[in-house]
Amino acid sequence: MSCHVVHERANGAPRALKLRARPLRVALVGQPNVGKSVVFGRLTGRYVTVSNYPGTTVAVTKGRALVGTEVCDVIDTPGVNALDGTISEDERITQDVLASDQSDVVIQVADARNLRRALMLTPQVAAFGKPMVLALNMIDEAYSRGISVNAAALAAELGIPVVEMVAVEGRGLSELRDALACAARPHVPTQRHASGRAVWAHELTGRVRGTSKVSLAHLQEALARLTRRPSTGLPILAAVLYALYLFVGVFGAQTLVALVEDGVFGRGINPAATWVADRYIPFPLVRDFLIGEYGLITMGLTYAIAIVLPVVATFFLMFGFLEDSGYIPRLAIFCDRMFRVMGLNGKAVLPMVLGLGCDTMATMTTRILGTPKERLIAILLLALGIPCSAQLATIMGILGGISFAALATLFAVVLGQMFLVGWLAARVLKGERSEFILELPPIRWPRIGNLLTKTQLRVRWYLGEAVPLFLAGTVLLFVLDRIGALAVISSAGRPVVTGLLGLPPATAQILVMGFLRRDYGAAGLFQLAHGGQLTGVQAVVALTVMTLFVPCVANFLMMVRERGFRTGFAILAVITPVAIFTGAGLNYVLHHLGVQF
Amino acid sequence: MSSITLAFSSKSKHPQRRDAAKGVRQVVALSTLREGMRGAVVAVHAGDNGRTDRLFALGVTPGASVVMLQTFPGIVFLCDQTEMAIERSVAHSIMVRPEEIRS
Repeated sequence: MSCHVVHERANGAPRALKLRARPLRVALVGQPNVGKSVVFGRLTGRYVTVSNYPGTTVAVTKGRALVGTEVCDVIDTPGVNALDGTISEDERITQDVLASDQSDVVIQVADARNLRRALMLTPQVAAFGKPMVLALNMIDEAYSRGISVNAAALAAELGIPVVEMVAVEGRGLSELRDALACAARPHVPTQRHASGRAVWAHELTGRVRGTSKVSLAHLQEALARLTRRPSTGLPILAAVLYALYLFVGVFGAQTLVALVEDGVFGRGINPAATWVADRYIPFPLVRDFLIGEYGLITMGLTYAIAIVLPVVATFFLMFGFLEDSGYIPRLAIFCDRMFRVMGLNGKAVLPMVLGLGCDTMATMTTRILGTPKERLIAILLLALGIPCSAQLATIMGILGGISFAALATLFAVVLGQMFLVGWLAARVLKGERSEFILELPPIRWPRIGNLLTKTQLRVRWYLGEAVPLFLAGTVLLFVLDRIGALAVISSAGRPVVTGLLGLPPATAQILVMGFLRRDYGAAGLFQLAHGGQLTGVQAVVALTVMTLFVPCVANFLMMVRERGFRTGFAILAVITPVAIFTGAGLNYVLHHLGVQF
Repeated sequence: MSSITLAFSSKSKHPQRRDAAKGVRQVVALSTLREGMRGAVVAVHAGDNGRTDRLFALGVTPGASVVMLQTFPGIVFLCDQTEMAIERSVAHSIMVRPEEIRS
């Protein structure tokens, strides 16, 4: 791509890069799921999570890139469908970047298949008055669908550089770097009315785009069809869930955990640590601190590495595969009606499914939802009922070992409660539900490289985020135990824990652990169940309460950050009694019916 | 209720062929299209909560070509190259001029 168009406008003189007081700030802007984050990663060498569905990026990411001889600050922004009119919270974030001095130059990233849509956005981006470059990404997918774009003609009409790219393969990247020097303000209609822009975009597209009926994407189209039709889509969903259970619940939570917990820790690390401590540490207090009942190594590290890590790693791998395939948004078609009862629409399936990875992240992803009411309900339901990956897997690990009926009971009760609370919230809370309008990403075969990078990054994130909290939690428990507070908590909790819920007294402290991190509490239950201290009914009741119970500290802080203190505490105030009374009711019913599992 | 309609005469590639065979077809709501039917968007009726803005932003604008892909449990259609799922009430407000199903 040359800059001849721009050069002509600048009287033939190529514009040289000037010395600046601060690095040039380049913002990547575009519709959701067009590959901004991939371009960002390619420009800066910094990986940000890339997935095949709209709304993966809900906050800005910054990185540095070398363009020619100049260092630039590159900003990745959340995808926008519009920058004026009715916009969502993540779109407002992008609007802020464009309106402020956070950006000097804008690269609009466009999906080459959807040129008309991209062009509708161009005047809105141009309205912020920054020089622009248009990057036509996924040009290969456009070709395979019989679409060709005359980039030179488009550049001439717009008066800005137009670069054809296949960002995932790095194609067009150096052209994009070169084009930055020629960025210019485009010739676009200045009217603010959407219909005027639509006419302009339609006509311009007609002039520069060629289409043929030949499509090479038959397999993709067939898969897309199979996953969204109820007759094939529901069996596929069942198969996906079963595969998830096999891979995470059986392979991760049973095979791998057994290998690491009994093998590496049970026979290796823990005996070794005990041996070293017994021999070299003369102070019993320090010994206990490291290898005692609440020892940093025997409890904290064992929980984090042996019980939770294998499960989290297998889950992230499988989850990343589903994300990149473009499958998850298709579930929204099936869920829309159900979610409507809860004051949401099918789009809410995205944060809900993401919550299975991590509720804290998912709480942030609720930004893609249309109205404040929807966001609040989604955040509430995430905190209430969606088990995060580690918790989900410990649930599978414990209950999968008991019976399928136990697992089914737990999920039925939790989903029932979510449904009920959602239904009530939809009626009690003020505000509107937005209409269900969702773009479905194309079905793609995930790129193994991206999948591995993403999983590795998430596992590292887990290690960085969870392990310190596990250790801190263990220290806290150790201190509480030493000063006798644990006994006080256990006896104070006894009427509820033993009386109402019918659980062993030791469960009280596990629920406290559960507040630090849900998976930490779940790991505690896992050990309890492993040691044969829980009956089937007790395991189901304890896990149900734990799943419904208050979210972990990180999730709570995220709720406060996104929705404020009052809302955060209000959610806690709703969830805690719901969890305890559901557990009590379940315990009562199961005992009454004489269920054994 | 307002509606945004544009004076797009059907700018199809082969207007004469279609018009010769069928004449000008009536404008109907997208929700009435059967699976596999094609059409061109003529207008989008505004809702009360920025529905038009959102649909426009997704490329559902007058002149866009649509293909109905699925009508149950939700409506799924292809608008140019974008596959979209919408609820029925939204589909009521998208007015299209259908093409005859190719035999």
